[in-house]
Amino acid sequence: MLLLKLFRDLSQNRIQFLSIFLMSFLGIYVFVGMDSEVTGLEACEESYYEETNLADLWATGREFSKEDVNAVKHINSVADAQRRIMTEGKAELDSDEYGDEPTMQMIFLEDEGISNLKISEGIPYRPGSSGVWIDEAFASRRRLRIGDQVTFKLENTKFTEKISGFFYHPEYVYYVENLAAMMPAYGRYGVAVFDISEYPLEDIEFNSMVLDAHGIDNKGVMTDEEKAAGRALASKIKNVLDDEEMVVFDKTELMSYSTFRSEMEQHHSMSFAFPIVFVLISLLGIVTTMSRLLARQRVQIGTMKALGFSTGRIILHYVSYGFFLSLTGSIAGALVGYHTLPAYIISMFTETYILPVMKTGFSSLAFLMIVMEVAVSSFIAWYASRRECALIPAEALRPASPKNVKATALEKSALWDKLSFSARWNLRDIMRNKVRSLMGTAGVIGCAMLMFSAFGCLDSLNFITGWMYGEINTAKTKITMEEGTPYGTTMDWAKKYSGQMIENEAITLKAGDIVKTGTLTVLDTGNFMHFEDADRHSISLDKKGVAMSYKMAEMLNVKEGDFFTWNLQGDKKKYKMRVGKIYRNPSSQGLTMYRKTYEDLDFRFQPTEILTNVTVPDSAKDRDEIADVQNTDEMMDSMDAMMEMMYTMAAILITAAIVLAVVVLYNLGVLSLIEKRREMATLKVLGLKTNTIRAILQEQNVWLTIFGVGSGYIAGFGILGVMFGDMPEAMDYCIVVEPKSYLLTFLGTLVLSMLVNQVLSREVKNIDMVEALKGIE
Amino acid sequence: MGALIELKNIEKKYTAGDHDFYALRGVDLEIDSGQMVVILGPSGAGKSTLLNLLGGMDSPSSGSILFEGEDIARYNDDELTRFRAESVGVVFQFYNLIPTLTAYENVALMRDVKDDCDDPMHCLELVGLKDHAHQFPSQMSGGEQQRVSIARAIAKKPKLLLCDEPTGALDTDTGREVLRLLLDVCRNEGRTVVMVTHNASFAQIADTVIRVKNGRVVSTEINENPADADVINY
Repeated sequence: MLLLKLFRDLSQNRIQFLSIFLMSFLGIYVFVGMDSEVTGLEACEESYYEETNLADLWATGREFSKEDVNAVKHINSVADAQRRIMTEGKAELDSDEYGDEPTMQMIFLEDEGISNLKISEGIPYRPGSSGVWIDEAFASRRRLRIGDQVTFKLENTKFTEKISGFFYHPEYVYYVENLAAMMPAYGRYGVAVFDISEYPLEDIEFNSMVLDAHGIDNKGVMTDEEKAAGRALASKIKNVLDDEEMVVFDKTELMSYSTFRSEMEQHHSMSFAFPIVFVLISLLGIVTTMSRLLARQRVQIGTMKALGFSTGRIILHYVSYGFFLSLTGSIAGALVGYHTLPAYIISMFTETYILPVMKTGFSSLAFLMIVMEVAVSSFIAWYASRRECALIPAEALRPASPKNVKATALEKSALWDKLSFSARWNLRDIMRNKVRSLMGTAGVIGCAMLMFSAFGCLDSLNFITGWMYGEINTAKTKITMEEGTPYGTTMDWAKKYSGQMIENEAITLKAGDIVKTGTLTVLDTGNFMHFEDADRHSISLDKKGVAMSYKMAEMLNVKEGDFFTWNLQGDKKKYKMRVGKIYRNPSSQGLTMYRKTYEDLDFRFQPTEILTNVTVPDSAKDRDEIADVQNTDEMMDSMDAMMEMMYTMAAILITAAIVLAVVVLYNLGVLSLIEKRREMATLKVLGLKTNTIRAILQEQNVWLTIFGVGSGYIAGFGILGVMFGDMPEAMDYCIVVEPKSYLLTFLGTLVLSMLVNQVLSREVKNIDMVEALKGIE
Repeated sequence: MGALIELKNIEKKYTAGDHDFYALRGVDLEIDSGQMVVILGPSGAGKSTLLNLLGGMDSPSSGSILFEGEDIARYNDDELTRFRAESVGVVFQFYNLIPTLTAYENVALMRDVKDDCDDPMHCLELVGLKDHAHQFPSQMSGGEQQRVSIARAIAKKPKLLLCDEPTGALDTDTGREVLRLLLDVCRNEGRTVVMVTHNASFAQIADTVIRVKNGRVVSTEINENPADADVINY
């Protein structure tokens, strides 16, 4: 029968209880949705790496002979080692929406067993077999078919191969065309795998080695032990090959692996941030709703006790309210979240990441979260009901003694008398109903926070695009030169288009024990690259010395004036230098120096690209020495996929904000109207007009909203920090919120809250003075 | 017939600030099994406190309450709860039905506290409300609600039925009907009924009349020829 009472009570107070249900639902919906996406994708990632046996270490920076490989294989902790040629060439394909002559990452294999291809179509690769294997993401976008003949170009040598198969490559879950690209644009470039027997050039020079190591596996994230094992093995390899300058790195340095990892971690942090907000609000909802329910049912509690119900039974009865609502809310949230959200996120993911299978998975963490949500909700219900339920029956049967109300310091002050009636009435109401006011504010904070982070997210991304291609790089066009183009040829192009020559090189940086890879940018004379300090004030770099990007300095834990060493990847010589200026760059982390400094270090300046403001005809692309011509608009296009995802995200956030505000404020409004019924009836009897009373109510609402929006800004920055915090290493995004977003958040929240209040306060008109002022019993 | 309840030197003290206030002081009394007992007294005399102590809904500050020889004043919370569940039925002035449960469900609620309850429908039949079994309290008149409350109290087959101003909120005719019902419970079912009221005319229907004033029992009278409910004036 108590269960029956529970359900009838729930249905009688459905608005309040529905809001608790909804908040539990939303919290778990977002959590389980994102968690099962992360869990599922991580499982897919892990099984993919396991199945293809992703390499544990990569060695580059020298030529690897047969003897080298054998020597390395003899190291105890090496399970297997294979060498290969990694190079870049072109494919001659018909021009389509992805352009023509795409850049191909070419891999010539000697053996199999490490970083195996996962064949999606066609025959598997075996050592010695002929033909070419092409990555699925490229092949499907370029509509290639098995058996097609494709002509490739490697250092001016053309060779034609028949497509034997399409594959997924575990080292290419994520890859970009070049060091400066911000987002992948699969289809514009691809990966082609050949057997070494197909290598078209005279000199076969194996420039890369992959290793399978004991003590490092592909399960989960890399542990500290695995990293240590990797470092130990790296120095052993250098010893055995007697080459200190070669580069050996593990998968945390592999762009594909680390970018996907950061993305997963970012989703993981976000999966916690949102639910905490909703769950907190649902708990506040339980406190207010339950304490009001209990106050109203005080006599019922006394009666049940007098009739012989034990305190434990009655507490259990009231705890069940929190228990049932959070349980049903959580389970519904988990089911809906599991079935809708991950599929949606994954559908957007396929533009950025290439995994053979992307599916969702349910983790024990999601289960734990549900258990916690239910446990905390039940605990809060217990907390709210324990006092009323512990009363002895004789006392519970008597009406509650009035609250012990004392005048606060404010009420005693001289200022108090100067306040208007409505200000005094509202201040008292807030002070006497702290929990309810707190919860109203929490609802507003949550709403403002979500809106603010949605707008901030869009602002920041818009800003980054403008920052990158408007402030930092002001060139309209970028001409990328083919590798090995003679200096004179590049120089001629630069002169022809009044361009600035730039050389980008991959480097390794080291400060203390921290080693990072990055990009060295060498600038020739010109004015297309601009620099900003950590606070984004414009600075100019010193003509001498070397400047370091802000994020790189953070990662290496160095400041201006500190020493660090760097070397070109594959180059033995290390340079010890001081950090000159520190500058911010959103998409490339490393060093920047002028040509003079570079040449003073005995390097030959070999520009890899030209920046210009002059329009370069499309025909330039046909020239052998030119790899690509891109204008800023095209580069901005590559941001579109990301922007699209962010718009969707923003739409979800704003919807959640509206639901949150409406649910919480409506719920509280109903509660407070019930409680203030007698007061308002009294005010009516005293002659106040309905509209005056409504204005008084609205005034309090506006106060709380203004206070809540202020706090919401702060909380919103917190959310943005989480969203932009776990970016891949190469990216340095800053959080920028435009003034109009502050205003929009404020107005949006205020209008919502005023609308809800306006709808609710219509009830004031219907208050029947006689009825409301009758005896309570 | 032996004493069902015996109160010995009962005191009930409340403390407000520095002041002690005695709701009951030096109360001794005996209630025999199967009797209709009326406790009479003006407002604030301590009647309700006395009723609360008899029903195990409150504990005295000192003294003992022997129920069938067991001192319930020494009971802890659990024992008192069991005592209320097993042995006591309560009828309140304002009925105190659970508003979200129907008449039938309010009576059936007692099965949650005691195993061998009477059939709820049978109880409702006894109070003449079989036809109203599926109505909610808000759909019933005061008299009907009070009769449901009596049905609920007797469903447990309690040895002691306590009634706190059971007709206080009812009009004359309805009040009389309720009294008749309570008398039936006492006479036909052999239950001990203790009723608290400020209405002196109730003394006529009682076997024993206990008068209370300023927290003390001022007299205990035995009524040799108790009258029928019809004689009561309001």
